[in-house]
Amino acid sequence: MSLLDLKGVEVQFSGFRALRGLDLSVSAGELRCLIGPNGAGKTTALDVICGRARASGGDILFDGRSIRRFEEHRIARLGIGRKFQVPSVFRELTVRENLHVARSRRTGVFANLGVRAAGGGADDLEKLAEFVGLKESFRREAGTLSHGQTQWLEIAMLVAQDAQLILLDEPTAGMTTGETRKTAELCKRLKGRHTLIVVEHDMGFIKEIGDVISVMHQGRLLAEGTVAEIENDPEVRDAYLGSGGISGA
Amino acid sequence: MTDLLNQILTGLSIASILLLVSLGLAIIYGAMGVINLAHGDFLMLGAYAVWLMESVFGLGFLPCLILVFFIVGAVGWLVERTLIRHLYGRPLDTILATWGVGIILQQGIRLGAGAQLRYVKMPDYLVSPIHVFGVDISAYRVLIFAVTIILVAITYLLIFRTGFGIRLRAVMQNAEIARCFGINNARIYSLTFAYGAGLAGLAGALVSPLKSVSPDMGTNYVVDAFLVVVSGGVQSLFGTVASAGIIGEMSGGFAYLWNDTLARALLFFLVVVLIRFRPQGLFAMQLRRG
Amino acid sequence: MRQIFVTRGWILGYAVFALAILAVPLFIDDPYLLNKLARYLIFGILAAALSLSWGYTGILNLGQAVSFGLGSYCMAMTLKLRTIPIQTGAEGLPDFMVWNNVKMLPWFWEPFHSTAFAIAAGIAVPVVVALLLGWFVFRARVAGVYVSIITLAMLVVVNLLIIDQQRFTGGFNGLTDLADLKLFGIDFDPYSGATYYLIAFSLIATLIIGQLVIRSKTGLIMQAIRDDETRVRYFGYDVARYQIFAFSLSAGISGFAGMLYAMVMAFASPTFLSVQLSLSIVIWCAVGGRASLIGAALGALLVTGIQGSLSETPAFLNTWMLIMGALFVAVVLFLPKGLISILNFGMARLAGDTAMTDDDDEVPLAHGGKLGIG
Repeated sequence: MSLLDLKGVEVQFSGFRALRGLDLSVSAGELRCLIGPNGAGKTTALDVICGRARASGGDILFDGRSIRRFEEHRIARLGIGRKFQVPSVFRELTVRENLHVARSRRTGVFANLGVRAAGGGADDLEKLAEFVGLKESFRREAGTLSHGQTQWLEIAMLVAQDAQLILLDEPTAGMTTGETRKTAELCKRLKGRHTLIVVEHDMGFIKEIGDVISVMHQGRLLAEGTVAEIENDPEVRDAYLGSGGISGA
Repeated sequence: MTDLLNQILTGLSIASILLLVSLGLAIIYGAMGVINLAHGDFLMLGAYAVWLMESVFGLGFLPCLILVFFIVGAVGWLVERTLIRHLYGRPLDTILATWGVGIILQQGIRLGAGAQLRYVKMPDYLVSPIHVFGVDISAYRVLIFAVTIILVAITYLLIFRTGFGIRLRAVMQNAEIARCFGINNARIYSLTFAYGAGLAGLAGALVSPLKSVSPDMGTNYVVDAFLVVVSGGVQSLFGTVASAGIIGEMSGGFAYLWNDTLARALLFFLVVVLIRFRPQGLFAMQLRRG
Repeated sequence: MRQIFVTRGWILGYAVFALAILAVPLFIDDPYLLNKLARYLIFGILAAALSLSWGYTGILNLGQAVSFGLGSYCMAMTLKLRTIPIQTGAEGLPDFMVWNNVKMLPWFWEPFHSTAFAIAAGIAVPVVVALLLGWFVFRARVAGVYVSIITLAMLVVVNLLIIDQQRFTGGFNGLTDLADLKLFGIDFDPYSGATYYLIAFSLIATLIIGQLVIRSKTGLIMQAIRDDETRVRYFGYDVARYQIFAFSLSAGISGFAGMLYAMVMAFASPTFLSVQLSLSIVIWCAVGGRASLIGAALGALLVTGIQGSLSETPAFLNTWMLIMGALFVAVVLFLPKGLISILNFGMARLAGDTAMTDDDDEVPLAHGGKLGIG
């Protein structure tokens, strides 16, 4: 059975149909890449899963349960984590504090009054920081990190959240080649333990990490398959026509 | 019938003062996103400027009005240059900083002109009432009404019919891109702020003969002006006009039914509810969510 | 080790502050001065309370005087009822009600015959009002300047209602000629050392409670909300609940401060709910340091202290207010973390560390569950 099922999902922004009946199915433990030309609705697809955008039609099932009408925090509590395209971390908190906030095993106001801000399993948090190469910056304010480091911190925060399903929106945007490679490495290590959906433009990166690729076009699912299958699909070529082929997107 | 007409005219009179007082704030807030808490003190400054020119230099009331616009506008320009421009994109900080400016202006006046109440004399030719549809209205209130309409018209033309207006609207929509097209954003902002401040000064000058002039007279006006601007919708001139009309008539009506204090309380409460459900205001343009 | 030094340094700072305010009565035998200082300490409590909601949670509450005023009226009501035999005739009514032709004590005044009820109400009423307003505002995800405008407008509403309901509230004049609070056999004369100590301990308690909250994970999440409210939601936290918590906690503390103020001033009036006072709290907080409880409190002491010492000469006072306006603008522009950040920086330098560090010197707590690291 699949972990996540989007069935004919519709999303509209003041008349503009961003998703027009999107069907998408992802199994547990999978790393799914989501690609498509600009405006295909990739980010909107992630938005509608995590509750940032509201579906006007269709249904979203997570673990067999409809989450379409849930508020963001309830969706997150079910085990769905989201990384945004513009890296968003808590800039005035340290790396350690960021991870501590992200590890949201308990979410109640009064439950958390009893948990020390300075405590709460610092060992594990440090291990996590090490995992994304931020051990040296453990006590630095997140606002002082480099762009790449901020991206990794956000990924580490999703791991701290222990999200079953992780949604990554262009994790390599603005990264150097070296940083991109490191991010690919991170994604591969997360695969299996977590289910991932990654929106990306960088085909090199996708070839490196992806098994199954879903191609979106004009708010719908256009094709699905391995890298080789997708590259040879004539419909996909048509969709990308004018933007220099799939690799140039 | 006369009663109702009287009531409507009272509301209209309140509305025109409200609109006059909020116009400058609406422009600064709408165009620059700056919440100018010193607005009321610009207004106070305008009132003092008239008082000074009238009582000390013996100038006539109407020439004073024109001078006041430029004097307070210049103060606004200076404030924008030295302070506000460092705070773009920090809306909460502009609230605080402009409030600090307000304190400085108030204390400056208190030190310079004294804390006692001052009175601006209404010109003799405007004292006698005018007879309209069987109702007496004070000529001065008719003047305020007329000036307000003229100012709204000028502002409209300025924003929608001049080169400055085109550049201003460009900057409002996208400051970055406007700069790429060679628009001097800093200059546009300074002039806009100065214009808004000048309008505040003019408003202060016009309301000064109605009530006494004191260093802290601005506080009430700024709160009222906010009411109007926020309810109307931040980037909508029409909204400001319409909401000044609605709020003016409502406060006239509530005050008729109960009393002034309760009318104000009720109005503020309605505005709280309005912001809760429509933070963008009653007449804001629907923008695509980003 | 450096961090330990910094942490210990801060505990030391709080201890020195506590001892200093407790030692004051030993050196002062002028009851009027003591009364004045007690008032400043109350402003310190108010500023610290605002720091919790503004500095730590990002809610710029421009209507904090609502809580303060409601607390003060609760205390004033019970103290007013104690003065009845002296102030009024046989009806047993507060004097202003007699003047306003009120024949019977209104029902909501009745329970204030009990001092215990009044003290409970002085905290509970502001908290309930804050809960309701917080629920109304934060559930709808109203944020930023709109919260400030709403809180300011609510302040005006409550202020006008109190003025309007003269028959029950004393209108413009408020509740005057109050009795002293007598509790556990102690007479809290506004000019006595007992009252001063009560207030000093209240300020210390406020700082301790605030520290406990800030140093809990709830406090951390509050700060995360200040940084990026939306992001916090995607970690599964119900942001509105945290905002309502911070807002109401701050309101409860302010209500308590209001009760103390009514005691010290021996009256309560609509000026306690004025826009002026409410915005002054913001200034104290900003000047001292909005994201530091002790910084905010010190800011209040500093600003009101200077203001008070100059108040005899109007020209001096007006000049000082002018300077304060400029200082406020300068702090907003150049020192967003307030004057305390200078002290912070100095302490960190003393400890041989250029960056301020978070305290974290204890053994990490053990916890269950494994993290998903490969």
